[in-house]
Amino acid sequence: MPDVMATKRIYGLVAEFESPDQLLSAARRTREAGYRSVDAFSPMPIEGLAEAVGFHSTRLPLVVLLAGMFGAGGGFFLQWYANVVSFPLNVGGKPFNSWPAFVPITFEFTILCAALAAAFGMLALNGLPTPYHPLFNVPRFVMATRGRFFLCIKARDKKFHVDASRQFLESLMPFGVYEAEL
Amino acid sequence: MESDPLERGAEISQPRVIEPGYTISTVTDKISSIVLGQRTRPGWFLGFGASFLLLLILLYAVTVLFAIGVGIWGVNIPVGWGFAIVNFIWWIGIGHAGTLISAILLLLHQKWRTSINRTAEAMTIFAVLCAGMFPVLHLGRPWLAYWLFPYPNTMWYWPQFRSPLVWDVFAVSTYLTVSLLFWFVGLIPDLATLRDRARTRAKQIVYGFLAMGWRGSAVHWKRYEMASLLLAGLATPLVISVHTVVSFDFAIAILPGWHTTIFPPYFVAGAIYSGFAMVLCLAIPLRKFYGLEDFITMRHLDNMGKIMLATGLIVAYGYMMEAFMAFYGADIYERYVTLNRMVGPYAAVYWSLIALNIVIPQALWSRRVRTSVGALFAVALIVNCGMWLERFVIVVISLHRDFMPSIWLMYAPTRWDWMTLLGSIGLFLTLLFLFIRYLPMISIFEMRSLVTETEGERT
Amino acid sequence: MMATDTFGARFDRTQRRAFILGIAALILAVLDGLRAPEQFFRSYLLAFVFWLGFPLGCAAFLMVHHLTGGFWGLPIRRPLEAGTRTLPLLTALALPLLLGLSRLYSWTHSDLVAADAALKFKQPYLNLPFFLIRNVIYFAVWWTLVRRLNRWSDEQDRTGDPLLAARLENMSGPGLLLYGFTVTFFSIDWIMSLEPHWFSTIFGMIFMVLQVLGALALAILVAGLLSQREPVASAVTPDRFNDLGNLVLTFVMLWAYLAFCQFLIIWAGDLIQEIPWYVTRAQGGWAIVALVMIFLSFATPFYLLLMRPIKRSVQTLATLCGALIVINFLNVYWMVVPAFEKSGPRFYLLDLLLPMGMGGIWVATFLRQLKSRPLLPLHDPRFEGALEHAD
Repeated sequence: MPDVMATKRIYGLVAEFESPDQLLSAARRTREAGYRSVDAFSPMPIEGLAEAVGFHSTRLPLVVLLAGMFGAGGGFFLQWYANVVSFPLNVGGKPFNSWPAFVPITFEFTILCAALAAAFGMLALNGLPTPYHPLFNVPRFVMATRGRFFLCIKARDKKFHVDASRQFLESLMPFGVYEAEL
Repeated sequence: MESDPLERGAEISQPRVIEPGYTISTVTDKISSIVLGQRTRPGWFLGFGASFLLLLILLYAVTVLFAIGVGIWGVNIPVGWGFAIVNFIWWIGIGHAGTLISAILLLLHQKWRTSINRTAEAMTIFAVLCAGMFPVLHLGRPWLAYWLFPYPNTMWYWPQFRSPLVWDVFAVSTYLTVSLLFWFVGLIPDLATLRDRARTRAKQIVYGFLAMGWRGSAVHWKRYEMASLLLAGLATPLVISVHTVVSFDFAIAILPGWHTTIFPPYFVAGAIYSGFAMVLCLAIPLRKFYGLEDFITMRHLDNMGKIMLATGLIVAYGYMMEAFMAFYGADIYERYVTLNRMVGPYAAVYWSLIALNIVIPQALWSRRVRTSVGALFAVALIVNCGMWLERFVIVVISLHRDFMPSIWLMYAPTRWDWMTLLGSIGLFLTLLFLFIRYLPMISIFEMRSLVTETEGERT
Repeated sequence: MMATDTFGARFDRTQRRAFILGIAALILAVLDGLRAPEQFFRSYLLAFVFWLGFPLGCAAFLMVHHLTGGFWGLPIRRPLEAGTRTLPLLTALALPLLLGLSRLYSWTHSDLVAADAALKFKQPYLNLPFFLIRNVIYFAVWWTLVRRLNRWSDEQDRTGDPLLAARLENMSGPGLLLYGFTVTFFSIDWIMSLEPHWFSTIFGMIFMVLQVLGALALAILVAGLLSQREPVASAVTPDRFNDLGNLVLTFVMLWAYLAFCQFLIIWAGDLIQEIPWYVTRAQGGWAIVALVMIFLSFATPFYLLLMRPIKRSVQTLATLCGALIVINFLNVYWMVVPAFEKSGPRFYLLDLLLPMGMGGIWVATFLRQLKSRPLLPLHDPRFEGALEHAD
């Protein structure tokens, strides 16, 4: 069964477009055609594109909020513990629990934890770093970071079929359609 | 979001944020070719060489410092904080404009920031590095700098969390970390561009490693933009907190001339003031030498001139309130410090500060000055000097005559002080030259968005 | 114009009611004040400082908008301008205070001054003639600013001359400078010198931020109320309210930042000239007021304004701004009244009657000014195209 072998060896089909608007409408039509494992690639963010490929919200703000709360609690606890429990020391007659003096470091800790969560959370949710990716096997794909726009239907999509999907992509009037080998 | 009305007005009267005629690909090519071009321009070697020489001076001065000790500096008792602290505050203030441009202007949807934010962010990181070096050098035993951090140790001892000097450690290290994150996150898509455009194997590997496999997926962009917004939202209060904490180093003490409540906002304004001055000092030559006049337009220079004027006026307000309250407060020490500034042995420094920081920059009210590249560069340079003098006035003049006349003493910097200051400028410029050679100094992907938008407006 | 007629009637009714309520409260206050003149002037000062914040804050924020531009200014431009035009009323309301200066300020008493070295030293600044001269200057400056802001804006409506926008922009830079200068010294003269030994260099800034925050909240509240009808309805969009909500958030944070900085520095220094101000304000009943303020002026609005749905909903943001105006009063109360009541807040009917009385007349004047001009600026080139987005 050469056909099955072929579908197994490829990651998906990639169509190349010349403008952001073409990509956006192509992505919408692909979703409407019933494909679910779709991704679009562009050299800059395009408003509405993520929604067009079926992605709606990210949990990143929640992650950042939790990290910020952890930072605030941890930062204050660190200072409170050091000054009240571990090593109480009278400095300038100030109370051991000098909360006004603990505010700056508490604040810095909050920001530090939240910012680390924002950056690394984004990378983790995006699955980066990805040293190898099948799409990089498509020679034209280098243009995705320069000035061209790509749409990919992944082979794992239930509706995926090499020939039918290729035909469908061709119907979207792309610049070209390529196979991404695994 | 709605388009910024300034943006719309741009078509009628004001210069544009990007000159017409660019497409997504040509913008990419123009900016990335500066980095990927095979030939390094002789001007770059000249600038880098000069900076590197200054850096060598720093290394020499620091080596001698480590071998002999802080005694080689001009510091004494009572002026325990000399050039080291002056330079520290000066540098960290310069860093603030970078974060301001990249974070606050992003939140305000000011599109004109796009072409200057990358350089400004890089400037922030390098300035914070230069700044962070000075307190460590000033420690006397810099190899024990890690004692500043809270960690479980055999002495069962903690840093003194009620001290603003410890707050500083946290503020500056957080600032450096967050600035690096912000900068690097901003670079990822451009690193991917460089990876895909690089022709030598070595460059492909290095840029490819740093790009971490970025491929511009729509889902990734979505999270990426969210992360950028969140980082900007976090960096904005952070940048204000950093110089606030620096001002606490002074204001929390009860020394006359230091202990005054206006210090936090006035330090922050001063930081932004000097930071924008430094951005102008860098942007004006850069756009000239690399032919980036289409990207860094007169509009940018004009806007930065206005921000400098506004923050400079807040600084002037700070001086005025300090001087007024010294008398209104009816405290003899405060009064003396103020008089000592104006007519004491360092009066020349004080009045040069007023001239450089307050009087001359009033020229920025004039549109002619703001739209003349040469004049703007001159004012920016003057403000940078003025802000350095301000920190000298605050640190040295308050310390050299405090409550007890019997320990009054003059302070004079030694050649090692000057060498360290000059050398730190060398470190800053060296890093900057490396940056503009190896990384795109203008955010390529944001310029692509700008190109598409301006195209959309025309149709 | 049929639809606006009933709206106009409601406008008139509110204006009339506010006026009657205000006059009634003022009459009661005067009657009560005859019994306790001391308290009358204290409450009068509180009410005056609070209500003066609106015309001044409106002028400042108007100038900020002239400088920066932005479509968010469209729905609030006219409420802000109407707010500035209540300055004549506040000027008239300032006059009775002159009768009570000696009851309010210890530095007006020569015997007290003679016995106190610090007060004696401050006498070249804190003395009645100079105080009066300064205040004449403040009010003259404010009148000039308000007149220009309104006259040019009015001319812009009538002639559509595009140069007027540039002229307004050009006056706003120096205008803000003058505003900052005069309001700072106003706050020193009228509030800081209530406790004449105390001083703080950041105080003027805190006072200005409170004024602008109050004015901004007022303008958003009014824009929200007007947004049920045209023409304001099409000028109010969720995006613009989101921007306005962010501005409120900025000023809430700015206030918290400045107030905390002042507190931390004075708390850490613990010096005899400075700390009593906070000792009074953080003890007994005042501690409760202070805690309530931390929660209501900072924590709650900060938390709420971080959420986009709240900022994008016109009604919710307007309601929140209404609450912020009340909280702003509490803020002024905590700043002014402890100078008289060292042991804790005490309830005086006058503290309620006078702010209400002045407020009634103020609201009536404000509404009269508001309806005297179109509810949206007609020919400002900055707002060109701003109404095209409306559905």
